[in-house]
Amino acid sequence: MATTPDIENEPSPDREFNEEPAAEQPKARVGWQYTLSQVRRDPTAMSGLVVIGVATLVAVVSFVDGVLFAYLAGFGAFASLGVEQYAIAEALWVSPIAETGAPILRPPAFLTNELYPGEPGTLAHPLGTDHRGRDLLVRLFYGTRIAITVGIVSTGLAMVLGMVVGSVAGYYGGLVDDALMRGAETLYAIPFLVLVIVFMVAFGRNLTFAMIGVGVATIPTFARLIRSRVLSVREEEYVDAARAAGVRDRNIIMRHVIPNSFAPVLVQATLQVGVSILIVAGLSFLGYGAQPPTPSWGQMLSNSRDYMLPNPWFSIWPGLAILATVVGFNLLGDGLRDALDPRINN
Amino acid sequence: MGRAQYTIRRILQAVPVLLGVAAITYFLMEAMPGDPVSIMLGPSPSAAQAEAIRAKYGLNRPVWVRFLNYLIDAVRLDLGQSIYYKVPVTRKIAERLPVTLLLLASSFTFAILTAVPLGIISAKRRNKPTDHVSRVVALLGVSTPSFWIGLMLIIVFAYRLDVLPATNLILPWAPVGSVDGADSRVDVLAAAGRHLLLPTLSLGTLQMAALTRIERSSMLEVLGQEYVKLARAYGVSEFTILRKHAFRNAQLPLITLLGLQLTSAIGGAVLTETVFSINGMGRLIITAINNQDFALVTGTTLVFGFVFVVGVIVTDLSYAYVDPRVTFEEAE
Amino acid sequence: MSQSEPLLRVENLKTQFFTEEGTVRAVDGVSFEVGEGELVGLVGESGAGKSVAAQSIMRLVEEPGRIVDGTVTYKGRTLVDIERGPDGDLRESEAMLSRREMRTDIRGTEIAIIFQDPMESLNPVFTVGGQVREFIELNRDVSGAEAEEIAIDMLREVGIPEPVKRYDEYPHQFSGGMRQRVLIAMALACEPSLIIADEPTTALDVTVEGQILDLVDDLQEKYDTAFVWVTHDMGVVAEICDSVNVMYLGEVIEQADVDDLFHDTKHPYTRALLRSIPRPDRTVESLDPIGGVMPEAINPPSGCRFHTRCPDAREVCREVHPTHAPPEEGADAAGAGNDGARPADAARAAEADGRQPHLVSCVKYESVGYEHSESLEAEATGAFAGGLAEMRGGERDE
Repeated sequence: MATTPDIENEPSPDREFNEEPAAEQPKARVGWQYTLSQVRRDPTAMSGLVVIGVATLVAVVSFVDGVLFAYLAGFGAFASLGVEQYAIAEALWVSPIAETGAPILRPPAFLTNELYPGEPGTLAHPLGTDHRGRDLLVRLFYGTRIAITVGIVSTGLAMVLGMVVGSVAGYYGGLVDDALMRGAETLYAIPFLVLVIVFMVAFGRNLTFAMIGVGVATIPTFARLIRSRVLSVREEEYVDAARAAGVRDRNIIMRHVIPNSFAPVLVQATLQVGVSILIVAGLSFLGYGAQPPTPSWGQMLSNSRDYMLPNPWFSIWPGLAILATVVGFNLLGDGLRDALDPRINN
Repeated sequence: MGRAQYTIRRILQAVPVLLGVAAITYFLMEAMPGDPVSIMLGPSPSAAQAEAIRAKYGLNRPVWVRFLNYLIDAVRLDLGQSIYYKVPVTRKIAERLPVTLLLLASSFTFAILTAVPLGIISAKRRNKPTDHVSRVVALLGVSTPSFWIGLMLIIVFAYRLDVLPATNLILPWAPVGSVDGADSRVDVLAAAGRHLLLPTLSLGTLQMAALTRIERSSMLEVLGQEYVKLARAYGVSEFTILRKHAFRNAQLPLITLLGLQLTSAIGGAVLTETVFSINGMGRLIITAINNQDFALVTGTTLVFGFVFVVGVIVTDLSYAYVDPRVTFEEAE
Repeated sequence: MSQSEPLLRVENLKTQFFTEEGTVRAVDGVSFEVGEGELVGLVGESGAGKSVAAQSIMRLVEEPGRIVDGTVTYKGRTLVDIERGPDGDLRESEAMLSRREMRTDIRGTEIAIIFQDPMESLNPVFTVGGQVREFIELNRDVSGAEAEEIAIDMLREVGIPEPVKRYDEYPHQFSGGMRQRVLIAMALACEPSLIIADEPTTALDVTVEGQILDLVDDLQEKYDTAFVWVTHDMGVVAEICDSVNVMYLGEVIEQADVDDLFHDTKHPYTRALLRSIPRPDRTVESLDPIGGVMPEAINPPSGCRFHTRCPDAREVCREVHPTHAPPEEGADAAGAGNDGARPADAARAAEADGRQPHLVSCVKYESVGYEHSESLEAEATGAFAGGLAEMRGGERDE
């Protein structure tokens, strides 16, 4: 009996055919080509990509426009409009009754609001105008730029720092691990929004520090994730072998640990961009984000609070813009998770 | 390795975290531009006045000495004096904390009570219409800014339909006489419930959506486990499998998430309190920051950290209670 | 077949998995019988469909899997009976037990199952005793206190020391072998007439496996429970089974009494399986693993499914799907028979004394022109590389 063989133990490592075809899952690492083809076939991921693509395009266009505007304004163009403008598109579309000084809240096209009963909005301002007569659609467009930039930069920062902290903690273990993880826990214990606001008050109340603040506050999320991956990869035999062969720790982390954590980190990062966009919107809503006249969605919502009764649309549009963008990142994140490895569960 | 020992360990582990929270806020506040003395005395105080204030508040000593003193005082439940409100920080917090805790409790209750059944139904009817609807709801829920939900709820229910109040939160423990039209405690509770409804939905939606997602995926995972299959093979009914064999295991990730959600929920409370003009801890800390009220900011943050740490310990302990493996492994 | 109705009869059972990549024909027309107190082996490589077949008997196959054809009768009751409706859709026949009846009358009460992985089969958040007791209460007409007593007795019986104390412990406090004993106790305690053991010893190390097999042997004798023993291990089959069904790619390709199978091996696949067992009298070099890997069940090879790997394959094997029948007289060209007895006679004799007749699916034993057919040797050697390539494609299929 003791010598009974296992006819399943065939030499080929590629064998993976299981009894229950249904229970079998795609493997996590089968190369880029495979991953891409999986992502391409996933409708969730693709619709997320489309949303993000559109948002990014809008962001790029508005960026170019903003640069052009600054250049032209240098020559004194647009000065006659007398409104606080931000960019070409806005300057061209500014509402003609801007000079009266009273709040100007044009309703969206073909709707009326309580400020202008009997005077529906026009196609010139399809989504209406804000309280200063600025076109809401244009301002929404410009808000995209802030949202996308802030989301991606802060997440990228958190990802890089989190990877460093997490891999060092996981790889060396012991006291280093304890200290770093307690630190991460501490950062996590302070409510996100409060931490970032305090950070901004201490260092500077502008967008740069908002991004850095959100990035730093997000480090624990990535550090934990990487650490748990490191702990499992560290036990793998090939890592033992590499260590026995005298490969330096740093190289082991770079060559084995990080690539092996790639899938879950990518998924987490995609989802985190959405979360960061929400946080920055909240910050802007409280007045701790982009400063006027730079348009951001949170700030628009904050302005809209005084006009919710006469013109609810002012409050509705920026929220929908945030919602759509964040949904895009969440869809992509969910799709990636399914495509890269269905077994990663949050 | 008993549960008692595990509990003590968890509590001891929380101490450095609280110290860290205090240190981070204290030193960030220290880095803050602006001189608290000038805030108290106006733009150009006389040198003697400034010196007196500095001595009174101990501002003339080195920062680490002040921090140590702060910690010692904090242990004695003295968090200093609020410069803005001119009352002890602890008194201000004692006044505001119950409001925020009430808001957190009601939104977590709402979130758990909707998310658990929704997630289970979703998992059980995987890829059926019910599942799709609940997944879309959950996706929208985690993608919507909570304060915007608040604004929309105000527009619809308070402004357009005029059925629910948007401001002037009534607390369930308010004296009966202080509430308009209330003749008894029941009336007060009913009014408080009506007032709490919109803020709860606003703050709770994100938690609800996140919990639904995790409940669904964890239920799906558990339902695919061998022991569920075994129960089925021994003739256990589907309902009993859900209620007994799968339920407990499926709640484990949910419990973990609940603790972690607390920090984002407190952040959300800051926004919700702003939207609904609720005088809780969230608005308190914003006021404190905007007025550079050093002691109040540090004190409030410390209390937030404390609430979070207590929340995490409670969830960890309930996890250990549900899953016998935890205390066992700790003992190994 | 035999005079008395067998305990369990499986006829032409087909179970398929409807995946995005196509239909996986996991079980493709399997028939076998289990008599009272008989220990029947279901053996084959992984992917042969033996577990799916075993689970289909209890209708435990889950989405996207589905039983699409066949009949399973147990003690005269119809567990599975699928028929095609007028427009080709699948229907459960009137005779088939309802889900509720399956649950209350069959599962646990009449047929119990032991799964492969003892580490995963017990619920980690409940005590071991509680779980055993729950199933006893559910499947036997006893009170809670009695069930607890039965559970403790049964735990003692399967060799768990200090069963009273261990009753209140959690699964993580048990070793793998101990957990498997618990699962066996669970199955026996419900007093079923049939236990389906789905690779119950695969996850255990060999010494523990030996102990468990001895235990099952003893208990089987004592309780006279019939077993369907699913395994990939010919050694286990030799040790405990009365009769054996060898499966390849969803089909039973040889079934026989355990002695006949080992001493009068007919099918080249069975022979290859037996040759791959290490024995003390042979060196590792003379071990003879089967070349190649089993092709996908989505797209099984034409003709005989084993022809891509069969050392004896000829042109005809690619074209003719063999019938499952007693080997024909005189057609035994490969000369595998060792005593010159005529197989068909032997089959008839076996049937007469209620033993499993020797049946085999191989064109060598049919008059379809095997002798005159071209050899397929070249393709068989090429099958290894081809099989690997297919597997790469196949990995994402499941």
